Amino acid sequence: MDKNKDIFESDYLPYVNRWGKITNWLGVLASFGPALVLLVGFDIMPPVSAIITALIAIASAVGINWVIEPISYFPIVGVAGTYMAFLTGNISNLRVPSAAVSQKVAGVEPGSREGAIIATLGMAVSVIANITILTLGVFAGTAILSKLSPEVLAAFNFLLPSLFGAIFVQFALMKLNIAPIALALGIGLTLAVNAGIFSFLPGRPTYMVTLGAVFGTIAIATALYKNKSVNKGAAIDEKN
Amino acid sequence: MDYLQIANSVPMWLAAGAAIFLVLFQAFIFVKKSYATGKEIGLTEDQMKSAMKSSFITSLGPSVVILTGLLTLLVTVGGPMAWMRLSFIGSVMFELMAASFGTEAVGVKMGIDPMTNVAFANAVWTMILGSIGWIIFATLSASKMDKVQQKVSKGDKGLIKVISVAAMLGSFGSLVSGHLVALNNNTIAALAGGAIMLALSPLADKNNIKWLKEWALAIALFGGMFVAIAF
Repeated sequence: MDKNKDIFESDYLPYVNRWGKITNWLGVLASFGPALVLLVGFDIMPPVSAIITALIAIASAVGINWVIEPISYFPIVGVAGTYMAFLTGNISNLRVPSAAVSQKVAGVEPGSREGAIIATLGMAVSVIANITILTLGVFAGTAILSKLSPEVLAAFNFLLPSLFGAIFVQFALMKLNIAPIALALGIGLTLAVNAGIFSFLPGRPTYMVTLGAVFGTIAIATALYKNKSVNKGAAIDEKN
Repeated sequence: MDYLQIANSVPMWLAAGAAIFLVLFQAFIFVKKSYATGKEIGLTEDQMKSAMKSSFITSLGPSVVILTGLLTLLVTVGGPMAWMRLSFIGSVMFELMAASFGTEAVGVKMGIDPMTNVAFANAVWTMILGSIGWIIFATLSASKMDKVQQKVSKGDKGLIKVISVAAMLGSFGSLVSGHLVALNNNTIAALAGGAIMLALSPLADKNNIKWLKEWALAIALFGGMFVAIAF
């Protein structure tokens, strides 16, 4: 056990942190590539005021997720998974489902070291699979996709809600008593946002649903767990 | 020059390709290191290989959804940007939103007005600047969050699991809620996907059916879709 701890902490984590930081900062630079091509190669640069206007619009719509998502997905994807997930995107619809199924099939616990390693392996496979499919799609796909009927394309829209329902149930089966709390918070807050209760906040405040559901569920689940351990501890004390 | 000629030019393909190469490089070195470390800490090759196989199966359904998003992006921002953005940082919904905010800031309504070169460039800038927040915050905090997790849980493994599962239930509870309260066919898809999973997952666990564990999510995903179409 101690030896395992050593390898994970003294070798694996430093490696992942070093290479994760290098590749992700390079990723930040690489993401500016197309903008640079437009500027240098074609001499096209939008007015700075237009860039700022659009940035404010997008930041008020998604900005809070820049912080919430890395925190809320961390327990399941681990350190390496965090670097990878946020370099590649498509997190809730692809990376986390892949990580969760991998952990289940391998029979390891989310949040454990083994869980982190398995999640990383699963997510890396999903990265490669996704890029392969997209690459085929972008070169051959326009022809194929344009031949698909609108009905088929509309049907694909049901895959996402179906995925979210299935993934929710997969985690619900791990902690049955927490699932109703999460769902009640999610539905309650969604209705509150739809009713305009949070309309004093900037943008369309759907982030209030994520924020409230994630941290509310963690808080209630932790309180329930501690309560139970305290009771268990008390029972053991009584026996002694 | 027409903006799509610029958007689909060779330099744009090269810039997109460089970013995608980086993503693949990272996935490759992380797999190599994780596989080796996994063996050292007692994971079997069978565990790791079946995890990777099941992840591949699970990736297929969502990748089809992303592919249809690619089509939408392809016609508005060209092949290279669509290809790069969906392999890199963002997601379909985000990219479409960012692109339309970008073009609107220079007075072009996406899908209604004809796209100009400057509108296209502003869409590109908005997609970039709007998404690097995620990667910057994640990169700065990844190593610290591990320490926070250890500190909060004081190494209590039961508590770590409770927090992990609670965070996931909160995330997916909020994602699924939007579809549940919509009360349309998306609601049916979400309920059906969940119900199929509810039937298959315990079945696979109880009888230890390995192929079913690997395929359960894919079956639930497409099953939910078919139920929603049938209604």
